[in-house]
Amino acid sequence: MQVYLPIAGMSVDAVLLVGIGFLVGWLSGLFGVGGGFLLTPALILIGIPAPVAVASGANQTLGASVSGLMAQWRRGNVDPKMGGVLTAGGFVGSLAGVQLFALLRRVGQVDLAVSIFYVVVLGTVGGLMVMESVRAILRRRGAVRRRLHEHFWMHGLPLKMRFRKSRLYISVIPPALAGFAIGVLSAIMGVGGGFMLVPVMIYLLGMPTAVVIGTSLFQVVFVTANVTLLQAVQVGSVDIVLTLLLLLGGVIGAQFGARMGTKLRGEETRALLGALVLSVALSLLWGLVRRPDSLFAIGPAL
Amino acid sequence: MALSPLKRRATALAGLPCARSSPRRAFTLSGLSARLGQPHTAIALLLALLLAAPAQAQDQPLVAALSTQEVRISTAFTGEAIMVFGSTDQPIGPGGDEILVVARGPTRPLVVRRKIKALLFWINGPSARFNQVPGFYAIAGTRPAWQLLPEAARQENGLGLDALPLTSTGSRSPAFRAALLELEKSSGLWLEDAAPVEIRGGRLFNIAVPLPATVPTGDYRVEVLLVRSRQIAARAEMSFRVERVGTADRIADVAEDHAFFYGLVCIMLAALAGWLGSVLFRRD
Repeated sequence: MQVYLPIAGMSVDAVLLVGIGFLVGWLSGLFGVGGGFLLTPALILIGIPAPVAVASGANQTLGASVSGLMAQWRRGNVDPKMGGVLTAGGFVGSLAGVQLFALLRRVGQVDLAVSIFYVVVLGTVGGLMVMESVRAILRRRGAVRRRLHEHFWMHGLPLKMRFRKSRLYISVIPPALAGFAIGVLSAIMGVGGGFMLVPVMIYLLGMPTAVVIGTSLFQVVFVTANVTLLQAVQVGSVDIVLTLLLLLGGVIGAQFGARMGTKLRGEETRALLGALVLSVALSLLWGLVRRPDSLFAIGPAL
Repeated sequence: MALSPLKRRATALAGLPCARSSPRRAFTLSGLSARLGQPHTAIALLLALLLAAPAQAQDQPLVAALSTQEVRISTAFTGEAIMVFGSTDQPIGPGGDEILVVARGPTRPLVVRRKIKALLFWINGPSARFNQVPGFYAIAGTRPAWQLLPEAARQENGLGLDALPLTSTGSRSPAFRAALLELEKSSGLWLEDAAPVEIRGGRLFNIAVPLPATVPTGDYRVEVLLVRSRQIAARAEMSFRVERVGTADRIADVAEDHAFFYGLVCIMLAALAGWLGSVLFRRD
């Protein structure tokens, strides 16, 4: 069934979009991440223009994360204060990111920039995840428990604030900076950034794992909402028909994925997720390196 | 083929049947009527024209009309074919009159970029900007235009893809113009002699111009030229509009005119859909 996407200005098979949404939703439910990092490349692959894929990907991630955030909030697993600091950084970051995006679009390098961002970020994160979880699997018994209060340079920074839910008394600079960086990535890659934020929260900020997922969802929801708004106003590339079709498949897939996810062990899940992230990065890298089918491309003059 | 209520209304407005079909296929009258399931519909089109303008047909060398004045892009739009048909006062065919049909869409500026290899990666390199690029261009004739008209007349009237007046700034290489032609042709937005103009009964002609799903909105001009002894003896100009209707139109309008409001609505809808979905499909 063909459906006309009003903003993309093209006709796409609705079943294909719902299917992509389902698959990405299933994987994100399985691994407990937003799945934006799989969605945007998949959309570009089927011929959706990169600006529309990025903006609608952020919009979809927002929808996919809302129900998770509500569930976590009910269980009291959200640190609103920490979430607020991350979100404040994320707002500034996404504002900067959208400006950068609009600039890249004017000079005609959006596709390249999106691909490079994906290759670098996903390659790094995927590589680290695989290494870390393989190491964990190898010495599952003899693991050294990290001390709760390990002091390093970060703890000498000014502007300290008490985060009661996270049981932390730290400077707001690191979380605000992390929020900023992920805001930039969110605007350019159309992702929520949960898969990058979670390790930062655990290893850098030292937050208790119980509140990590809920608080990262808090940041993801607000930052993707901001990206959606900014992209809609500045670039005009949010396609609501595309978003809703993806969400239709996504919310169903996420439920199936989440059920299956409970049967997998932590380390195995993370190794699998790492391998998935890494393979997306490699396939995008291949797209940059191989000789393109057509050396010329047309785009709108801005 | 089942027509949607919207389509049916559009058909009634135009007073003539219109056809929807895959844009990539070559359109012929017989193929069109077969798809409509009524073999005489297309003939009826021509008869309707002749009955409507019997007086004109006698003293004018060329009479032509379009199957519709309006192409509507709804959310189910997958492309459409527009019929150009008419008649002449003298027999058409080899040795006699010849017909050329040109359809032009609204123009827009475009940038053509060439990819270059920088270190390891292929990146967008030099570019050329073309200011007035027709968003749609189709030409067809009883024979190709270059066989019918002298080169000067063809260039002057912009008849044929190589006669399009494309001026560019930026890189001067002719490869950019060639690439533009190639890319527009492969997207189905530029057509040159995709199918010949069909002749019926010596003096009736018709051609279906396929508009793909990516067809830009705006005002289109259709020109029918009567070529007699290598000269343009008569021309008929018509126009039609391509516009978005219904939901697709409203979405695009709101997104353009009230971007901030549209952004807010997108946020609300996505959040609502996500929440609703998790309630409906919860499996625990």
